[in-house]
Order: sequence, then structure tokens, then C-alpha cells
Amino acid sequence: MTTATTTWTTTRGPLAQAASMTARSLASIRHQPAQLIEFFMIPLMILLSITFFMGGQMMGSWKDFLQYAGPTIIAMGLFFAITATGLGLYGDIKEGVFDRLTAMPVSRFALLAGRIAADMVKHTWALLVVGGVAFAIGYRSDGGVLGTAGAALALLLFLFAASWTMALVGLTAKSEEQIQTWMISLLMPLAYTSTIFIEKDTLPGPVQWWASANPLTALADTMRMFLSGGTPGSETLALLAWCAAILAVFVPLSLRAYRRKLTS
Amino acid sequence: MKYAIEVRGLVKAFGEVRALDGVHLAAAPGTVLGVLGPNGAGKTTAVRILSTLTTADAGTARVLGHDVAAEAGKVRERIGLTGQYAGLDPALSGEQNLMLIARLLGASRRQARQRAHELIERFDLAHAAGRAADKYSGGMRRRLDLAASIVRRPEVLFLDEPTTGLDPKSRGGLWDIVRELVAEGTTVLLTTQYLEEADQLADSIAVIDTGKVIASGTPSQLKQTVGGQVLRLSPARPESLGQLAQLADWAIGAQSRQEDGDLVVPVAHAGEAQAVMARVGQAGIDLTGFGLHEPTLDEVFLTLTGHTAETKQKELAA
Repeated sequence: MTTATTTWTTTRGPLAQAASMTARSLASIRHQPAQLIEFFMIPLMILLSITFFMGGQMMGSWKDFLQYAGPTIIAMGLFFAITATGLGLYGDIKEGVFDRLTAMPVSRFALLAGRIAADMVKHTWALLVVGGVAFAIGYRSDGGVLGTAGAALALLLFLFAASWTMALVGLTAKSEEQIQTWMISLLMPLAYTSTIFIEKDTLPGPVQWWASANPLTALADTMRMFLSGGTPGSETLALLAWCAAILAVFVPLSLRAYRRKLTS
Repeated sequence: MKYAIEVRGLVKAFGEVRALDGVHLAAAPGTVLGVLGPNGAGKTTAVRILSTLTTADAGTARVLGHDVAAEAGKVRERIGLTGQYAGLDPALSGEQNLMLIARLLGASRRQARQRAHELIERFDLAHAAGRAADKYSGGMRRRLDLAASIVRRPEVLFLDEPTTGLDPKSRGGLWDIVRELVAEGTTVLLTTQYLEEADQLADSIAVIDTGKVIASGTPSQLKQTVGGQVLRLSPARPESLGQLAQLADWAIGAQSRQEDGDLVVPVAHAGEAQAVMARVGQAGIDLTGFGLHEPTLDEVFLTLTGHTAETKQKELAA
């Protein structure tokens, strides 16, 4: 064999490979800068329409409602946006580029994590914009800079974990419509049976039990705790436990789905 | 290591359909193995198994001495793949696509840029290096795809129908690139449904149909299996065809067939052709032309698969 093999020092591990994949997923923004607006439109519209059109009826004045539920409604809007991870992976696989990447000595984890990390960049951008709008229309955090940062980090951590569930959906779905259906039929009930909008006591008995267990309740309660300047307690532990459990289950399941989809 | 690619008894079933049904293949280092067959013959499945994208139900496949199932990681280090569908990121530019591959393979940013530029020059894509890949023409996309599969100079390159859907000029350009890679020592497995492509590029050919290799050898060996040579007679009047066929039968007992208004007579050697021509001369049948030639790969394929020209054309159009 006389082929001259290009030798590159392959000290770049899975994380570096994931970073390359992240950059690749974000590169399309340069070709279509309008995407920067699309990333925050849905959470922004959810925040504004619920606050202005429903808030007054729910709490007497939309300002009180914004103060109570504004941050958690932003969280819900971004929670719905994790569908992008499923749709993105589904599209990647359909394009055939993942066939090439799979036949290369590249970590499978890096291929999935790269997509999710790129989506996290987009979520962070959307959070900054929509959070800025909430501030502009009158929302004020009692937790100061630290509390606000804590709430934001709690939200981003939860979105990161939840994105892995969408990775599994994207890798096993038969069509884009199926992914949308999963989003509506799973994410929405989850959001509406949590303390995102409402106080637990207003729910009927059995739903109250579920609302306590709901991961979004752990998220909403943790965010409210940070934003009201409290100290982390059981709600924060519940959130961390949920994130760890979701990752422990869905990272291996996603990797297995990847193997089944692309190498069998 | 005698063979760069060695496949024995490969079986792969999808439900009831046996896509591969005991396939044997072998390619010596630095040669081109052409896998020739119609749509649905199992060509893509074979490539996917060899490039570690799927696993076989039975049989063994080795690439550069590594078992593709047990040592998939080692195989991936040394192969390149250009699948039937472009393995490119449509939203990235040509240059970004090549740089991404190089980065994933361990190149530094500078090395990646340098290698991308080399390939862009070599594959005549400099005018479109910054353009998104989904804005490329079919021929350009194929060239970029091929470039992406040799970013790290693979020792074995798999090309799954690399020129399907290309115009003749782009096809010729791609053939030149493949020849260059082989001259540099790369072993190539190429699947195609174009007989001319296999004839042009391959050192050895395996003809595959419904999951089985039905013939293999060098292009000229394959032509011989159809039986020596072919005498083609073009009568001045089409109604003479029946009479010509009868004369050929009397002269040498040949089973001739009609094709495009000609009579095609398989002959073992030139003497038999002479005997047929003598009869035709005695009978006084007017010919507009005649010729003795090696059978084309088309004729080999028809003889081997029993597919009629018509169904083959439908498959080619599909």
C-alpha cells in the first residue's frame, strides 16, 4: 500500500468534536441571519399574549400576573422550543450527512451533543431577548443579579436535560409531523399541570399530586425561589434530581437509537 | 495481506427480502473493483456493510484485514465513503463542509483550511468555495462529495453509484479523478449500473443481481464468458432476417437473435463467421453491413441475468 496517509494529531477528543459539530449547526445563521429573530419569536409571543390577554383576567392586573408568572412563562416558551432538537436531528439524518459522519472515526456522543449544544446557544440567546422584553415592560426580580442568574441557569440546565428526550424523539420519529404531534401531546399537558401558571392549591386533588411530582413544577419553584431572593432548598434538589435522572436515561437511549438508526 | 477488500458469503435480509444472499467479493490493493448490477441488486447494502453503516446477518467482510463488524473503529480510520446520496451539509459552504470533516478527523484549524483549499483547487470548485452546498449543480455536488470522502486520503474508497444522474461531461471528469486516486495507490470499490463505467474504470468486475454475484472477472474475461465473439449482420431488407437466422443455424448451429433490425450471431471463432458469411453469399441476400466484434458488457449482462433490454432500460431510467 503506497497511499500517503495524512497524519493529524488526533488529540481532539469527543468534546472538541462536539464543539466542531456545534459550530457547524450554528454556521447556517451567517447565511440566514433572520434565524436570530425566529429563535425568540415563539417564547416572546407566548409571554406577551398570555400576559396581556389572559393575565388581567387571571390575577386582576396584567402587571401582577407578569410579576408572578412572567419568568415561568418564558421558561414554558423555551421548553416548547426544545422540539427544535428533534426536528434538527431528524433533518440531519435525512440529509445523508450523518451517513458520512457515522462512517468516520467520530464519537457518536459528539454528534448528538454538538446538535444539543448548538440548540442551547439558541435558547440562551432567546432567553436574553425575551428576558430583556419582560424587564422592559415592567418585570422586576427581587433576587438581584445573582438570583436572576440562578434562575436563568436553572432553566438552561433543565432545557439541556430535556433536549435529550427530544434527541430520542428525533432519532426514532418516522416523520416531522410525528415530532410535532409528540411535542403538543407531551409537552403541553406537562406544562399545564405544573406551577408554571398556577398555584398548586387551585388544582383538583389527583392532579395536585402529579403537579408536585412534575419536573416543570420543580423548575418553576426553583426559578421563583431564586427570583424572590430565597435560598435553594428541596425544590432545587428536586430539579437537580430530575435533570440527572433524565440525562441518565435519555443519553444512553439516544445513543442506542442512533446506533439502530444509522448502523443496522 | 492479499486483498484490501475481502467479502465471503455475505447475507443481509430486510424482512422477507434477501438483499444480499451469499455474496463473495475481493479486491487487491490499489485496484478498482466494479460492482455492477441493476437497481435493487444489493449494491448499496454491500457498500453500507463494508463502510460499517450496517451489519451483515451472516458471512464475513474484511477491509484492509480488519473485520468490519468486530473492528469497525479501525475500518473507519482508513476508509472513505461517497454514498448514493450526497453526504454534505447543505447549509454549509463547500469550504466549510471540507473543513468540518478535517476538524472532526483531528486537524487543527490551520491544517483543515489548508487541506480544504487543496481539495477545492484539485476538484475545480474554487469559484464556488464560499457558496452553500445546496446551491451547487449536480456535478459540483458530486465532486465536493468525493472531495469530502478523501479529506484524510483513505486507503480504501467506497463509491456508491458516483455518477448516477450526471451528464457525460461531468461523468468523464469524475472518472479522471477516480483514476488519479487509484494511481496514488487507493483501492476503490465502485458500484454502478453503467456498464461503460465498469468497463472504463474497473480492474475486475462482479456482476450482482438479486443479492448474488452471478459472474466475476476482468472485463475481458466477462466478455469471453458470453462465448467468443459476435457476428452482426445488417440486412438491406428487414424481411430477410428470418432467412438469415436459418442460414446461421444451418452453417454452424448458432442460436442467433435479432436486435435493432440486425441479426446477432454468437460465434466461437472467426472460422465460424466465415462459414456463415459463405452461406449468406450463396443465398444472395443483400447486406448493408456486417461486423465481427467482442461482445459488449451490455450483451454480457443480458446473457448473465436474463433480463431483457427493455426491463433494463426501465431500471436505468428509474
